[in-house]
Amino acid sequence: MTDFLKFSIPGKPEYVGVVRLAVSSIANRAGFDIEAIEDIKVAVAEACNNAILHGISDNCCNFEVGCFLENDRLIIEIEDKGHGYNMNEYVAPDLCNPKEGGLGIFIIKTLMDEVEILSNTGEGTMIKMTKYI
Amino acid sequence: MTLKIESIFNEKSNRWIVQIIGEMDVLTSKELREELIRIFNEKQENIILDLQGLNYIDSTGLGVIIGAYGRLKEKEKEISIINPKQNILKLLTITGLDKILIKQN
Repeated sequence: MTDFLKFSIPGKPEYVGVVRLAVSSIANRAGFDIEAIEDIKVAVAEACNNAILHGISDNCCNFEVGCFLENDRLIIEIEDKGHGYNMNEYVAPDLCNPKEGGLGIFIIKTLMDEVEILSNTGEGTMIKMTKYI
Repeated sequence: MTLKIESIFNEKSNRWIVQIIGEMDVLTSKELREELIRIFNEKQENIILDLQGLNYIDSTGLGVIIGAYGRLKEKEKEISIINPKQNILKLLTITGLDKILIKQN
């Protein structure tokens, strides 16, 4: 059985903390341990940052966070209708030569068990991430 | 939760000690960026970031520290981190930043 929760969040930095708290609470309810809850919280916040900083322009609209609680996993989808981008242009950061930007997607991929990013220029972005219990 | 930053210049060791307390994220990271620029303009010496009171950091917070690392390196100075909590140490480790920001001794 799947329980489904969905939030619509203003695309402004001040609401990322709200998402972090909500997702931590959902992960706790799903039965994850403290370290896994922290991983989920950080990964979701990075996806929210991505929507706010690279997706939605001028903080003008909301983005959506959907959570699917299944018996053995938690799936979270963060979707914005912003400008989107070409995922083929994504380059993983060079850890020996760190730069200020570009760590967000790398952190999400490291902390979650499965990550799928669908983005099209002009259509928006959806980051789907799964963590197994 | 907000971010609180306290910078003190230690005359004895000739370096800045910056205590960062709270949460450093997409909302608050720019406060640290401005503070690190301000103190380094005031006195161009090494900077120690004391993260004992920091409960959360994201990629924007890490980006601010990387930016400061680059600016100090240009002036042949160093920025380093002490007392990170376990959750923050994990992010520093997976991004490889522990190797350049945490002194082994």
